[in-house]
Amino acid sequence: MRALSARLPWARGAPWAPRASALAALALGILLALVPAVAPRDITLLNLGFFTFLYVAQGLAWNVLGGYAGYVSFGYAAFFGLGAYTTALLWLAGWPPLATYPVAGIVAAAFSLIVGVPTLRLVGPYFSIATIGVGEAMRVLMLNLDRITGGASGLNLPTAVPSKTWFYTTSLLFAAVAFAVAAWVRGSRVGLGLMALRMDLEAAESLGVRTALFKNVAHSLGAFLVGACGGLYATFLQYVHPDTVFSFTESISLVLIALIGGLGTVWGPVLGAVVFYAVQDYLQTSYPTFHLLVYGVLLILILLFEPKGLAGLAERAWRRMRGAPARLAPAGPSGAEPAAPGRGGAG
Amino acid sequence: MLTAPNLISVGIAALLTAGLYAVMSYGLAIIYGVMKVINLSHAGFLMLGAFMTLVYFQRWHLDPLLGALLNLPVFFAAGWVLYAVLVRRVMTSLPIASLLLLFALWLVLQNVALAIWGSEDQSIITAYTYKALPVLGFRIPLTRLLVFGVALATLGVLHFVLGHTYVGKALRATVQDPQAGVLVGIDTERISAVAFGLGTAFAAFAGSLLTLLFSFTPDFGGPFQLKSFTIIVLGGLENFAGVTVGAAILSFVESYAVLFMKASLQNVIAYALLVVALIVMPGGVAQLWTRSRS
Amino acid sequence: MTAALALEHVTKRFGGLLAVSDVSIEVAPGQITGLIGPNGAGKTTLFRVISGGLRPSAGRVFFEGREITGWSPHAVCRLGVCATHQIVRPFPDLTVLENVLVAAAFGSGGRLAPRSPRAEAEEVLEFTGLASRGDAPAAALTLAQRKRLEIARALATRPSVLLLDEALAGLTPTESQQAVALIRRIRDRGVTIVMIEHVMRAVMDLSDRVLVLNYGRLIADGPPRAVTSDPQVIEAYLGRALEEA
Ligand SMILES: Nc1ncnc2c1ncn2[C@@H]1O[C@H](COP(=O)(O)OP(=O)(O)OP(=O)(O)O)[C@@H](O)[C@H]1O
Ligand SMILES: [Mg+2]
Repeated sequence: MRALSARLPWARGAPWAPRASALAALALGILLALVPAVAPRDITLLNLGFFTFLYVAQGLAWNVLGGYAGYVSFGYAAFFGLGAYTTALLWLAGWPPLATYPVAGIVAAAFSLIVGVPTLRLVGPYFSIATIGVGEAMRVLMLNLDRITGGASGLNLPTAVPSKTWFYTTSLLFAAVAFAVAAWVRGSRVGLGLMALRMDLEAAESLGVRTALFKNVAHSLGAFLVGACGGLYATFLQYVHPDTVFSFTESISLVLIALIGGLGTVWGPVLGAVVFYAVQDYLQTSYPTFHLLVYGVLLILILLFEPKGLAGLAERAWRRMRGAPARLAPAGPSGAEPAAPGRGGAG
Repeated sequence: MLTAPNLISVGIAALLTAGLYAVMSYGLAIIYGVMKVINLSHAGFLMLGAFMTLVYFQRWHLDPLLGALLNLPVFFAAGWVLYAVLVRRVMTSLPIASLLLLFALWLVLQNVALAIWGSEDQSIITAYTYKALPVLGFRIPLTRLLVFGVALATLGVLHFVLGHTYVGKALRATVQDPQAGVLVGIDTERISAVAFGLGTAFAAFAGSLLTLLFSFTPDFGGPFQLKSFTIIVLGGLENFAGVTVGAAILSFVESYAVLFMKASLQNVIAYALLVVALIVMPGGVAQLWTRSRS
Repeated sequence: MTAALALEHVTKRFGGLLAVSDVSIEVAPGQITGLIGPNGAGKTTLFRVISGGLRPSAGRVFFEGREITGWSPHAVCRLGVCATHQIVRPFPDLTVLENVLVAAAFGSGGRLAPRSPRAEAEEVLEFTGLASRGDAPAAALTLAQRKRLEIARALATRPSVLLLDEALAGLTPTESQQAVALIRRIRDRGVTIVMIEHVMRAVMDLSDRVLVLNYGRLIADGPPRAVTSDPQVIEAYLGRALEEA
């Protein structure tokens, strides 16, 4: 028999075998969890961790549909915003914050099904365009639902907030859960189906993959996680405003994190989020949106030269270090056959 | 209020807006038609067109309408170069790659503009900005009439170019059947470059016209871009004449719907229409009657 | 005995074009049925109507007595009818083994138990002679291997009815012979096969029965020899050498 050592045969192309990858993630997680114990008063550091982990979690969540299945959505702010408002309203109603996050996730996931069932039938690029419409429509609607959302003046939330350490740890936990979900999906039967449908929807369908179901499962899984992140964000800021939590910038941040980190890879969004938040944080004070310029340029370079993003670069470097030849034909938006399905006609 | 004069004045406004909408969407339709690429950087060129008009106006006191004309060759060249340097390289990949590339380009343009001009509202005030003319007993702002007139003239020119010049015919042939285009000796690379140049030029041209009506910032293109998507989807994506129809539908629906709802919700109509149109009639409104024929 | 596959007055229109016109057939289990006809006769369209890729404009489709008209392709596949694609469509970035694994994991509708999809995929690769290429990305295969992979994937869904669309097209005579032998071995496993084929020698060798489609209509149906001497069939193929290899 052939020597196929990996337990999960379709987790190919990762620089590390899945088990090593899981161990590395676990070690990293434990190390990061120790930070508040070492530096409990370093508010800057704890805040930095909080936002980075929040982006890591969301980038990983976005990647399930966007990377594995190849459906690029520019509308995840709708999930983030719905989650933020769900938590805000429940918190105002007297719920403890932690109890609101799952509800925030469920509300976002339910909305993702309402939107996803019709729009995920569209061919890739049309889906992307439709999600911009949905996202922006939600933002404007929420701005106008002032009785519920506070409209243009936003909602102030209770000031009795948990400690910075609590936020740091919870955010880290969210990132860990998102990582576990993303890694599990990628190695599982669901992940195999998603990757197959990304490469050829019709062929996957004709071999028994319930493509519509899987796309919606991936979408609502991502929406759940992003919704919960929105909830956590609302409790952290103690304030929600439609223009921030439903913003287009929030949506495209996730796209950028996943694409630059490495579309469809497990570690990609982690790398992407760290770099994204580092650049954003560094430039924030002097120039609020400059990181988007940097990321725009990076994205162009990635699309032209390394469709697997930073994770792809890391993989190449790793292989070079070990003296193995770099693998050709990376997966990703530019890596597929020219005769790609679905070019042209919509629907 | 639903009074007769009110309905008529809304109708006139809708018609005038339709002209603007059509001009705003032609660039997108040309690029989609020839290259089957959704140009997410459209908003960036609308915006740059507006800012360049401001630059011409401030430096040389060039009227925005002349600025619009000057933008045509400038942005045609810019589009051509961008096609050759960037877009061409991802054309053989999955469609999503070109979509993302153009999206990245939009981000870059927007943030470069932010770096140059900052995020304050800009506007161009000309001698005629606040003038109005009586039409059918209503006082209509002169700028809106001018924009409409220019829009009509542009559509006329475009129609002529597409129908009676070699490049125009080649463009239309490629839109209808890319393979056949190749067979009759059309250089698709060239035609794509021309299409991208034209699309970019039209976006910038429309951006100039927008400065007559609105104030603008580096990120003001987004909503207009989404409306343009709605228009070309309603128009059937591949159909230049459909753009005019799509623009009229969107403009009239928006204008009359506002009589029944909050004005601040107006943009939701376009976004919702975009999603609904993509789902139920990917072939555009024309599909409604071709389908009933078969 | 119920037919493995039955079509009742199936019609498919594309706009004004009648691609399949009022076709009724019953396919007996365990047989190989050849489906021939000139280019554009509607053969692939008929397959797509059966496998769920297209909804018929009129008529009904039955699998083992159960109506499957208008079912989606994934459901038809899991029930036990699997079609290969005339133009092969491997998942390019997956390995050959993973390609087959997709089919075994999703398309077999519980027929594999207690065997694992992984074991089934490996067995199918052995059976189709692709075992040595299991770890190669599908994009790296030769045309003959891709055609084989197309068959292997379909087989891994454990179909009762296998629809082969021009499985031999583009193969060299040697490759073609190997493929013919493979198809025979698949039939010997009890799979009912309907094959679209332009290579007449293979059709004559393999088929228990031949159907001829022309302009969407079924113009002949019978044992291979009888069908090829039918004047209507000869007329449909006029200008084409019937025995071209
Ligand atoms: N999706 C479609 N839309 C419109 N027309 C179609 C479509 N699919 C097939 N046709 C037309 O239907 C007719 C039958 O096509 P089909 O592919 O079934 O032929 P075929 O018998 O498989 O031919 P070949 O031997 O060349 O594979 C052709 O005229 C084709 O152009
Ligand atoms: Mg065929």
